[in-house]
Amino acid sequence: MTVGLKDGLKLLGIAVMSGCAVFVCTFFLNFYLDALAVRDAVSADLMPLYEAQLLTAKLVCAISGGCLLAVSVVLLAFYVKLYVDAHARQLGLLKAMGYSDLRIAVGFWVFGSSVLVGCAVGFGGGYAVSPLIYDAMGDGGLPEIPLTFHGELLALLVLLPAAAFSALAVLAALLRLRPSALSLMRGREAISGGGRAGSSDRPFLRELRAATLKSKKSLVFFVAFASFCFASMMQMSFSMRDYANEIMGAIIFCIGIVLAGTALILAFTSLAAANARTVAVMKAHGYTLAECGRAVLGGYRIPAYCGFAVGTAYQYGLMKLMIDTIFRDMPDVPAYRFETVVFLIVLAVFAVLFELAMGYFTLRMGKTSARVFAAE
Amino acid sequence: MIRAENVVKNYTNGKTVASVLKGVSLEIGQGELAVILGASGSGKSTLLSVLSGLEPADGGTVTVFGEELTAMTEKERTDFRKRTVGFVFQQYFLLPHLTVEGNVKLGANLAGNRDYMREIAAVGLEEKRGRRPAELSGGEQQRVSIARALAKEPRALFLDEPTGALDEETGRNVLDHLLRLQKERGFTAVMVTHNPAVAELGDTVIRMNSGKIAETYRNTAKKSAYEIGW
Repeated sequence: MTVGLKDGLKLLGIAVMSGCAVFVCTFFLNFYLDALAVRDAVSADLMPLYEAQLLTAKLVCAISGGCLLAVSVVLLAFYVKLYVDAHARQLGLLKAMGYSDLRIAVGFWVFGSSVLVGCAVGFGGGYAVSPLIYDAMGDGGLPEIPLTFHGELLALLVLLPAAAFSALAVLAALLRLRPSALSLMRGREAISGGGRAGSSDRPFLRELRAATLKSKKSLVFFVAFASFCFASMMQMSFSMRDYANEIMGAIIFCIGIVLAGTALILAFTSLAAANARTVAVMKAHGYTLAECGRAVLGGYRIPAYCGFAVGTAYQYGLMKLMIDTIFRDMPDVPAYRFETVVFLIVLAVFAVLFELAMGYFTLRMGKTSARVFAAE
Repeated sequence: MIRAENVVKNYTNGKTVASVLKGVSLEIGQGELAVILGASGSGKSTLLSVLSGLEPADGGTVTVFGEELTAMTEKERTDFRKRTVGFVFQQYFLLPHLTVEGNVKLGANLAGNRDYMREIAAVGLEEKRGRRPAELSGGEQQRVSIARALAKEPRALFLDEPTGALDEETGRNVLDHLLRLQKERGFTAVMVTHNPAVAELGDTVIRMNSGKIAETYRNTAKKSAYEIGW
């Protein structure tokens, strides 16, 4: 009634995130379960390597799966918020007509469908590449570990997350639907404008930039979060090259690029959608597109670079912890150090991509005329 | 003076082409209030968009105060709107996160107008200058939108159904503010409406039907906002 299946499937970002999480977890968990079965065949001299591989599987699963799960939860909550904000009038009307919050919110279960699709693809992909991972993990003389299908993993990694995310979407919708019907119909954005504002002597465009940031705090968080993901995943992918074999390194690098790119694209798409009306009004009055872009998107640079800095610190801490824990008993494993060159390369790539995205999305926002909004 | 000659405007939706303006010609004198009257779908809002430089025409010529809009690029039209035009929309289009003052500054900033408080006072909202749009009534929001447009000190003000979302009393109030300011400052105003009573306020009335001008006439007995029917 409230949300169509098409709306749920539009959440490509969540599908990609959950897909990547399940992809990684599938082959590592599968490996972990199959490796346990051959413990008795491992000789004493290979036991430290065997234990290290088991610990790698467990830790990577916990960290990748856990991090990506957290990212997916944040994304889902964010999408539900965006959806409720964008359809506040229709949802308010339903409430005014007498539909209960719960009855409206139940319709949001379809948001979990994107997780189902992502997890199913991730599970299939993870299972398909498992032979490669088994070969790589078995390097060093470990006994052959036969690949077995574990049905419980299918339930744990595909069905359970889809059900949990559907429930989460309903819960998030319930929270967002708390304002009165009238408040929703008047528009959430207008209501959440903040307290009384006094007179300001700041130049108008600077004032607009500050007001835009203040009124869209969730977007500020999202941009910072996307930059955090970009910084941590890209640097982590580079840093793993000394600690994983080629295939593993390539997989981690590809996942890092996909996730970092997805997070940034999602952040900018949301920014463009949330600010298109402001740009249309400014353009109608005669502001140039460059002025509109600077006023509306320019303010997000600071949160983006803050997110990048935190992401860098996070990946350093996480890598250090992981390497020190997993490889502490292994000889010839280099200690983990902060890689300044990698940091500078990733920062430069981020800066270029960020500016390109700013330019592209400013152009995209500029394509919508105030007439389009007038016709709504 | 605003002059349009044989203006054509089409909208394409997939393979369907809708001809919205079919050779429209008109003249509006400087300092006049022209009312474009017509039913929904007659092309009046599209004509307003083309005359104000918001959208390009597909054929014909539009000249506003000696500048030919139809020969301009998108960038030049933006600059033209910045220098010359003020807009008032039916849905107000105020920025919800800015205060009354901030919204009016959006217009004032373009003209380098530091005396924007005068515009807020002119529409009677001095005491509410720190409020956000959600805290104002519909009529007050439309008055902010008028103040924002006038803070640009435009030579031409374009209004698209400015009272369309307002009740009768509020609508009269808004129109009264507008007429008074136009008389004081002498800018040209072009107003689109579907309400025939509102047309009685105009110096020139242009009645549109199916993308063409059905009738143009001069109002010999202009009425005030409180004299017209509704």
